[in-house]
Amino acid sequence: MPKRLPKRRTLAEQVEEVVQAMLVSLQPRPEPAPHRDLGPLLAIVRELRYLPRQEFRAALKSDLQRRASVSINKGTESSAAAPAARAIHYMRPGFTSITPYIVVSGASQFIDFLRRAFDGQERIRVPLPDGKLMHAEVAIGNGVIETADANEQIPPAPTDIHLYVNDADATFDRALAAGAASIYRPTDEHPSGDRWGALTDLFGNRWYIATPKGWTPGPEGLRSVQPYLHLREAHKMILFMEAAFGAEEMGVHKSPEGRVVHATMRIGNATLEIDEAHGEYQPKPCHLHIFVPDADATYAQALGAGATSVEPPTDKPYGDRSAGVKDPFGNTWYLNTFLGR
Amino acid sequence: MLVEAAQADPAKFAALYELHFERVYGFIAGRVPDRAAAEDLTSEVFYKALANLKNYEWRGTPFAAWLLRIAANAIIDRSQRRSREHSLTDDPPDPAVHLDIRAIEHRARLFRLVGQLPETQRRVVHERFVDQRRTREIAQRLGKSEGAIKQLQLRALERLRAQMGGAHA
Repeated sequence: MPKRLPKRRTLAEQVEEVVQAMLVSLQPRPEPAPHRDLGPLLAIVRELRYLPRQEFRAALKSDLQRRASVSINKGTESSAAAPAARAIHYMRPGFTSITPYIVVSGASQFIDFLRRAFDGQERIRVPLPDGKLMHAEVAIGNGVIETADANEQIPPAPTDIHLYVNDADATFDRALAAGAASIYRPTDEHPSGDRWGALTDLFGNRWYIATPKGWTPGPEGLRSVQPYLHLREAHKMILFMEAAFGAEEMGVHKSPEGRVVHATMRIGNATLEIDEAHGEYQPKPCHLHIFVPDADATYAQALGAGATSVEPPTDKPYGDRSAGVKDPFGNTWYLNTFLGR
Repeated sequence: MLVEAAQADPAKFAALYELHFERVYGFIAGRVPDRAAAEDLTSEVFYKALANLKNYEWRGTPFAAWLLRIAANAIIDRSQRRSREHSLTDDPPDPAVHLDIRAIEHRARLFRLVGQLPETQRRVVHERFVDQRRTREIAQRLGKSEGAIKQLQLRALERLRAQMGGAHA
């Protein structure tokens, strides 16, 4: 097969691609003809990822000045002083921007599967009087899966998850031992270039188990848990997510006919993947939980972009402001803002 | 001098803050998963420093090292608090081992140099790296082309690199 000669891109473009990849902790494409200044500039880029917010710097300074003056007046440090500079972050600690909320029949058994297959660490379990679970959270790697038992109003909604792990083969075998069924074993032949296998669990969820090349485990690396949505007319989801949630396309790979072969969409600090439904990979409307800076504003924006309301924004007893919308593809999105309490 | 002044008059603590903010924040930011955590811990460090300033004595330990010690402890405390939530791939950091003063100074110097960039370059750097906006969006906000934003980004990085004198952390 004839090889296309690599097109030499400008240094500004080469830098931009690596900056974008670094900001979302993804591996950049290998540069076919790297500029000789690229390496030294990247050393600067790596450091700039940690650049502080000027607003925070200024707010903390004025807060310290206020505290200092209180301590002069009172002769002691005021422990009652409100930490004004302490940012009220819109994301609940321990969460990323996107979390799949998997509704199943048998949530306790599902948690058990997550524990045995993926080293899932249960963080919260809220049982109902009948023993079913109203809500639970399980951390996997640096991501989280939320789950609950299905009921009459909310039927089971299995979800497809792209799970990044340290060792795809070992995780795959553990998942099989925990009751999952193989679709295909991890292989190096997957088009993503990652070592990649697929399986289904007993609850109807499909798991793409992958170890990417250049995998950096831990909080600074890829997100361990990424929802993967197979959609009809997937290209419309890109537009919807941009308009509704301010999502950004991280990389869209289309066929010559315009079909989305694969796209990664970013919201805040996390990503999800979509593609055009094909073969056995058909749409499965699911539930997704996203943290946004202003749930009310995002709710209004989502309705404007074509979503329908599931629940208008309300303050929840667990300390979030939360709203729900359904997208034109039938997926439910919970839009939450952590209120810091 | 600044330390004694602040010990005598806590209102002068702001000068110490100005001097050390980039060190403390930069040290912490490289060791916690996100900006929110870095800001929380940085606040905690300076609150503690202010509250305990009277206990600081010059015994050969520079004030910066005293602050970084508080920061290292804050990071360890945080990782212990959260250890129940941590998984196998998310090992608690070991700041005692990684407290690399040269790297901390390098990063702090770089952060201060960003503040001295020409205004448009500085703004592009902040919007890109702090706000994490895409170049397309920055272009719209600044009324420039996307290519111009990429050029501004490149020029800012080249200038910072030249000013850092090719030093590496």
